Amino acid sequence: MEEMLRMEGISKRFGTFYANRGVNLDIRRGEVHTLLGENGAGKSTLMNILIGLYQPTEGKIFMGGEEVHITSPAVAVEHGIGMVHQHFMLIEAMTGFENIILGSKVNPSALIEEAKDKKAIMELADRYGLEVDLDLPVSEMSIGMQQRVEILKVLYRGAELLILDEPTAVLTDQEVEGLFEILKSLTDEGKSVIFISHKMREVTRISNRVTVLRAGESVETLEMADTNGQELSDLMIGHHYVESTYKKVDGGKPVLEIKDVSYHPAEKHGGLKNVDLTVHAGEIVGIAGIDGNGQSQLAALVAGLIAPESGEVWRNGEKVAVFSPEDFIDQGLGNIPEDRNKMGLVGDMTVAQNLILKETESDRFSFGHGLWLKSKAIQEFADAKREQNDIRCTSVNQTARSLSGGNQQKVILARELDGDPEVLIAVYPTRGLDIGATNFIHDSIVAQRDKGCAVLLISADFDEVLKLSDHIAVLFEGEIMGQYSGENPPIDQISLAMAGK
Amino acid sequence: MDVFLGSMPDVLATTIRMTVPLLFVALGELFSERAGLVNIGLDGLMTIGAFTGFVVGYQTGNLWLGVLCGAVAGIAVNLIYAFCTVSLRVDQTVTGMAINILAPGIATFAYKVIFGDGSTLVQGTTMDKLAIPGLSAIPFVGDILFNQTLLAYLAYIAVPLCWFYFARTRGGLNFRSVGENPQAAETLGIDAIKTKYLASIVCGALAGIGGAFLTLCYTSTYATGVVAGRGFIALAAVIFGRWSSVGILGATLLFGFFDAVQIALQVSAPTVPYQFFAMIPYVFTIVALFFFNAQKGGPKANGKPYFREER
Amino acid sequence: MSRFTKFGKRYRDKALGIVIPIVAILLAFVVGAVIILFLGKNPIEGYGLLFSGALGNPGRVAQSLMSACPLIFTSLAVAFAYKCGVFNLGGEGQFIMGATVTMMVLQVTGIQGVPGILLGILVGIIAGGIWGLLPGIMKITRGLNELITTIMLNYVATLFMNYIYSGPFHDPDSGNLQTPAVADSVNLIRVDRMHFGVIIAILMAVVVWYVIYKTSFGFKIRAVGINPTAARVAGFPVKRLVLLSFIISGAIAGFGGSVDLLGRQYRLMTGFGSGFGFSGVAIALIAQLNPIGSMVVALFFGMLTTGASSMQVGIMVPSAILDIIRALIIIFAVSGMALMKLPTFKNLLNRRPMDQEGLMPPATGDKKVEVSE
Repeated sequence: MEEMLRMEGISKRFGTFYANRGVNLDIRRGEVHTLLGENGAGKSTLMNILIGLYQPTEGKIFMGGEEVHITSPAVAVEHGIGMVHQHFMLIEAMTGFENIILGSKVNPSALIEEAKDKKAIMELADRYGLEVDLDLPVSEMSIGMQQRVEILKVLYRGAELLILDEPTAVLTDQEVEGLFEILKSLTDEGKSVIFISHKMREVTRISNRVTVLRAGESVETLEMADTNGQELSDLMIGHHYVESTYKKVDGGKPVLEIKDVSYHPAEKHGGLKNVDLTVHAGEIVGIAGIDGNGQSQLAALVAGLIAPESGEVWRNGEKVAVFSPEDFIDQGLGNIPEDRNKMGLVGDMTVAQNLILKETESDRFSFGHGLWLKSKAIQEFADAKREQNDIRCTSVNQTARSLSGGNQQKVILARELDGDPEVLIAVYPTRGLDIGATNFIHDSIVAQRDKGCAVLLISADFDEVLKLSDHIAVLFEGEIMGQYSGENPPIDQISLAMAGK
Repeated sequence: MDVFLGSMPDVLATTIRMTVPLLFVALGELFSERAGLVNIGLDGLMTIGAFTGFVVGYQTGNLWLGVLCGAVAGIAVNLIYAFCTVSLRVDQTVTGMAINILAPGIATFAYKVIFGDGSTLVQGTTMDKLAIPGLSAIPFVGDILFNQTLLAYLAYIAVPLCWFYFARTRGGLNFRSVGENPQAAETLGIDAIKTKYLASIVCGALAGIGGAFLTLCYTSTYATGVVAGRGFIALAAVIFGRWSSVGILGATLLFGFFDAVQIALQVSAPTVPYQFFAMIPYVFTIVALFFFNAQKGGPKANGKPYFREER
Repeated sequence: MSRFTKFGKRYRDKALGIVIPIVAILLAFVVGAVIILFLGKNPIEGYGLLFSGALGNPGRVAQSLMSACPLIFTSLAVAFAYKCGVFNLGGEGQFIMGATVTMMVLQVTGIQGVPGILLGILVGIIAGGIWGLLPGIMKITRGLNELITTIMLNYVATLFMNYIYSGPFHDPDSGNLQTPAVADSVNLIRVDRMHFGVIIAILMAVVVWYVIYKTSFGFKIRAVGINPTAARVAGFPVKRLVLLSFIISGAIAGFGGSVDLLGRQYRLMTGFGSGFGFSGVAIALIAQLNPIGSMVVALFFGMLTTGASSMQVGIMVPSAILDIIRALIIIFAVSGMALMKLPTFKNLLNRRPMDQEGLMPPATGDKKVEVSE
């Protein structure tokens, strides 16, 4: 098959750190080529180089056999390279149409010629089966439609090579099927796709070839037909990969009871509708479902950040009267929030300060209930926690912002599990983490469960929910679609429930 | 009260006039914010525009040259802002404040160098009004709307032009995207940095002209404090007008109206201490914001620094 | 890992925090010198007069300290609020309201002596606090941007004071627009050639430093200032803390107004407190919001104010040149700090053999790609 792109010996250095080192990648016309690697393996950096956002420190790029210098995103577009980012690069306040024509020189007219441009876009949409409503503001589109707008955006610019970064992470199973059909129609027309994912099930199904990246270097490129998921996993993490498993248990007394709670029930993607859920002591209740179906609201409710519009929440057999995070924390709530940088850490404070964030008035860390902070006690505590939780940093006095995602999460975990909370909420606890950090977080959560903690796990990663949960509930458009045992769960049934079936 | 009502046409004509500086500056700020730069240095930019406009107008006798130089001075000072916020990524608010301190300093210093340290203000001239033939003869309305300075007409003409640029042209669409999501804009080949500099140039020019209007069409002299917080009122007008040029027109007309009312009241009710009337524009700005504040809305990446890897 | 690298970066950052403002000051003075040269005057002579005018004899020194006193208060007000993420541009209004209410209460009640001083200062603090509370309420209830509201309230306060000294409290014996002087018995006690307020101001800086850096309350204030969302999730009463920071900030400025009235000005008149709010902002920013630093920078600014007239008289350069120099100091200082944070510059600083940052990738994928922030 004809070669479309070749990247040779690409290196990219940030300061003293190499995000890519000597990476090789070649893409053939009409193939789906998967870029496989853990978080931090250098996939995003490599792709950012390819689309002109970064300049490589070393290395060459060839398109159709000729060397090219992709000095800006505009140049990448000229070469027919287009990327659909994991976090969509869409302007929410603008319509689908506006997003698609934005910055493009396809129609050189200075004025916006809506009718003409729309026609051209709709032709493309029909050809590849991309169903979109061009007049809808992006903020009102479903995630799936936003993705189709993104794909149309790059096709409109004449892309021959499409890069899709973790495109399935935000989709329901059906939407994934739809996406795969679109990919097929693209490759049938001779376009090529770089598919970035770590979901082995999808990788093995869709790819023609796979290139594995590890620690910034390209390990190997394999024909999918000659390999399998296990081999790819082993290559990705660099040693034999064994899936860890946890024993499923039965809970004790009910600790947290949510009874018929509604919050903005009319909103499909930001409300809760008649939710009934109970978390017992010593069990993990996992909430499965696609991101944006009320997970954030459920987490906020349980953390006391929002109050239900109707319905009740009970703690240890008592009805909760006041919804405030202070009270909930005082009663023994640990919270691993969904966005560690925005909600979990005060980034510009030090690691030590973040570790004692909630404890500044305690006698442990201050005299006179907060009148004078005990720097030494804080320092010692932080150093101890750093040791215990394997938080990798040069010093606990560096800012939390400067840590890697995994280490940031360990700081939050260390803080939230200190003093053994009675209830623990973990929302997307391992999002964006590598396998090592993920396993550490999982072990810690299960250990906490075994100490009798009632754990509410909310995750968009279905595999994570299956692995950890003693009890599974599915959230779809703010409603609990079904509840299942964590032991031998009916996976097909749960998948359907996640899509609202 | 009768006196007040009788002066209504005057009040409205004054409204049209007092709106002009606010409108220029608020439109400038609109460009700035549409590119994600919240510029609170408007007071400073106006001050430098007012001063430069006055001095050039006074020295050359050519008031339009004054306006032009006011705009250039506004651009020059705002380029400091642009360089700090865009290239060095200094906090926008902090930089805006620095401009608010720097510009009056420059103006006061230069004024004293040029005119000496005397206590009497140097009197210049103001622009002549330009009655539009025919239209200005319309009873009541004509004299209010169509007997203004040319600079005032330009301010009002700028409104539909701005609307057209942002709503109907590709350039305007691309420009807006920088204020909404500069990362996304850059992936589409729109140069966010360049757009932000462009926005600062437009903002500096319009704010400078707005300031020059004050000295060249209103006071005929430059005194410290001539801007009197109008830059901040314009900032409020942009929020109040929901980041649209038409909305801003409405907001500035309202603020201009209250300015005109307080001027009229000072004349018509001499028994009440004038200070309380003079408070009206400021109090009203707060009241207006209190009831019509937009906590959300506005360009999404407004005020946020944009990071792009050094090339 | 050596101890040097463990702490080296911290010390370096601290050192930069002091070096950058000093460099900024020097640079600003160089620019000032160029302007003076451009006018055909001798900058060295001018600066000589500036510093001798500010520090030439004990009387001058006392004058400089007293000029600095109100600036210490207003800069502390700005620094405290900004630590909580509140940009209080209303220091001037709060300062003026403090002084105005002090004046009114003392005139009306006629209380003399130390009780009068204490009462005057107390009502000044309260008035300033209320003037800070207003934009605070507007912010936490309706989300109003305090940059706008505090400025508007400055104008209202100035006009109110104007009404007070030209209307009901006008000094009948004076042709100028001003109030009569406060009674001698309520003047602040004098320590040598300066008033006691200077010492209060310096103590205030220490107290603010203590509250911000050594107490749980200050810790929470700082956390809210950096990341209000995380602070709320951590159970901090964010709105209450924000409101408190408004009130405390206003109270500090109002305190300053009372002290300046009773210690130095004795009466309200045109221009009272004018520019102190913005100078406070400038000082706090140059000092990077550090209270002790603010005090030091305020002392320096006070010196400039006192020396400016000597320079103006000596070499005939308008004293307003110091306004330009002051503004340039802020611009250079904040730009300098920002410059150190730019990646290219950081790399330059970090390129040392001992540095371990290479082993600590900046969070790999998700973090270093700051584009995604």
